Amino acid sequence: MTETTDFEAKRDIAEIAVERYKQGRLTRRGFIAAMGALGILPALGSRATAQAKEIIVVNWGGTAKDVLQEVLCDTYTAETGIPVTVDGSGPSAGKIRAMVDSGAVVWDLCDSGAGSAIILEQQGVTQPIDYSIVDKSKVLEGTAYNNGVGNYVYSYVLATNPKMLGGNVPQTWEDVWNVKDFPGMRTFRKSVRGMLESATQARGVPLAEVYDALGTEDGIKASIAKFRELRENIIVWGSGSDSQNLFLQEEVAIGNIWSTRAHLLKDQMPEGSFDVSFQGGVIAPGIWVVPKDNPAGSDEVMKFIAHGQKPELQVEWLKKIGSGPINPEAAAMVPPELAPFNPSSPENLATQILYKDEWYAKNQVSAEELYVDALIN
Amino acid sequence: MPRVTEKFSYWMLVLPALAIMVIFYIVPVLGIWKIAFTEPVTGFGNFEKMAASSAVQTSFIITFRVAAVTTVGCLLLGYIVAYAISNYASRLTPLMVALVILPFWVSVLIRSFSWIVLLGRSGIVNDALRDAGLIEAPLKLMHNEFGVVIAMIHVMLPFAVLPMLTNMRGISGAYVQAARSLGASEWYAFRNVYFPQTMPGVMSGALLVFVLSLGFYVTPALLGGGRVLMISEYITYQIQEFLNWGLGSALSVALLVATALVLLVAARFVNLRATLLDRK
Repeated sequence: MTETTDFEAKRDIAEIAVERYKQGRLTRRGFIAAMGALGILPALGSRATAQAKEIIVVNWGGTAKDVLQEVLCDTYTAETGIPVTVDGSGPSAGKIRAMVDSGAVVWDLCDSGAGSAIILEQQGVTQPIDYSIVDKSKVLEGTAYNNGVGNYVYSYVLATNPKMLGGNVPQTWEDVWNVKDFPGMRTFRKSVRGMLESATQARGVPLAEVYDALGTEDGIKASIAKFRELRENIIVWGSGSDSQNLFLQEEVAIGNIWSTRAHLLKDQMPEGSFDVSFQGGVIAPGIWVVPKDNPAGSDEVMKFIAHGQKPELQVEWLKKIGSGPINPEAAAMVPPELAPFNPSSPENLATQILYKDEWYAKNQVSAEELYVDALIN
Repeated sequence: MPRVTEKFSYWMLVLPALAIMVIFYIVPVLGIWKIAFTEPVTGFGNFEKMAASSAVQTSFIITFRVAAVTTVGCLLLGYIVAYAISNYASRLTPLMVALVILPFWVSVLIRSFSWIVLLGRSGIVNDALRDAGLIEAPLKLMHNEFGVVIAMIHVMLPFAVLPMLTNMRGISGAYVQAARSLGASEWYAFRNVYFPQTMPGVMSGALLVFVLSLGFYVTPALLGGGRVLMISEYITYQIQEFLNWGLGSALSVALLVATALVLLVAARFVNLRATLLDRK
């Protein structure tokens, strides 16, 4: 089974919550809630004996687990009396399938990705989302699938250090590739995910046509060639914390990083030395999926998903760990100082494209090979 | 038959170590070989893919180049240190040997991170040079091969010093004295009398450093900025990022074979048995 969902990004959000918690920026409850919101709380040992009236939400662990617990789960329990627990053991498509196949389903709701959601649906492992309970209008367009629905978003964004650049800040990906007018080192991810889209725009392809331009082998090669061209100015980041460090230590002045890390950097960097642009960014949703024959029953889970769509809860999520609301209504409730860092604000949405899992399912492996070659050879 | 019993008792002594090697090393390595030839399909598919990939070829070239430069650097620096310790600092010798061994007590990870602090764009070296007015813009000291080589020489240096030191301490001073008394200059005596006697130490130091460098992972990953991709990091990449165990294993096999080849080639020029076993 191909796993196309970008789970590293999810784990990274979890890490961010841990960091915030350690800095004292998240209360313990806030922390637990963030974890909950991402679907990461306790991998309770006695899953098999879970009571029918308890909902088990599964995400990717780390800190995001606690934020999810506090923001979505505890508030749901307070409202309905139904206990909700987050399990952070990482609901990969393979695990979900193995669980359903074995007939011992203990998970009710899983934080997955679009690619995995589609594959799991094809394999008949997940349940349809009941759109009479879950509100289709409360998620971003394109994130309501038959057997999966969006829960939050994060983006690949253009981050810059205006101070190091002397105020001469690149505005577009074409600028990023213009080493003459914008000298200095850039950072890109050690994977083509969310990166190839930038290079494609640097070729002059309009944002809306990026994945069309990447539709052919020649198109992919042309975009990869852009990295070859820029490579003397590239330092690669492997993990989210790598990208954060490169900015903190002023190793780079420009980079394509996760918006959730940018959310941290804006507080850590001195005034005027960090900025983010969602211009030409790539926005990726997390997707809820419900395994077949889940113990709490379909209705209960649907009600919980609907609960999580409340804009005020989604704003909490953004405040705590920087993952953006999936509900377009939430944008209006975001505090003005956070709005520029919200991946799903109307202004930021207008300048981004949706991460295309289908493209990655088909092309990622061959593209990665070309990418490594372009960087080192 | 007392001889057989004696032999048997030696085997018994070796047995625990041998068992650990076989169970925890040889068997897993064979498992890797098996994966290399059987996943995703049985045959040489992984090796064909590997040979066709220019990224893999470049990575091999980088690996051997970094290992070679590291070896040369370690030998030059290490020879001087070993020479000084064994010939001059008689009373301070224990302290100096301790200083050579000291870095082993600190993890490679920490040492590599320390280099990041030193070599960074706003690191200690760049800041000092800038404050002294020697440079205007920061030098690119890391996130490239230069940084990797500096840090690797630092990590590998003890492996070069120790064999050379052992070797030099076994060389009697009488030879050089004899040469000098017969009228040889200091340099001539060193070059023609002392230096040849240190060759076994130099060779075993070189082999040790080179072979260890080939499989190095932490330092290049941290200081290379993603562009000094050595084979071991490439293997991790295949296995963790793409879950491509077949190709990852094939790369491991190739690295193992390449290392064995290096030893074989070395054996044509150096007497390995004398170099590695008879330290004199």
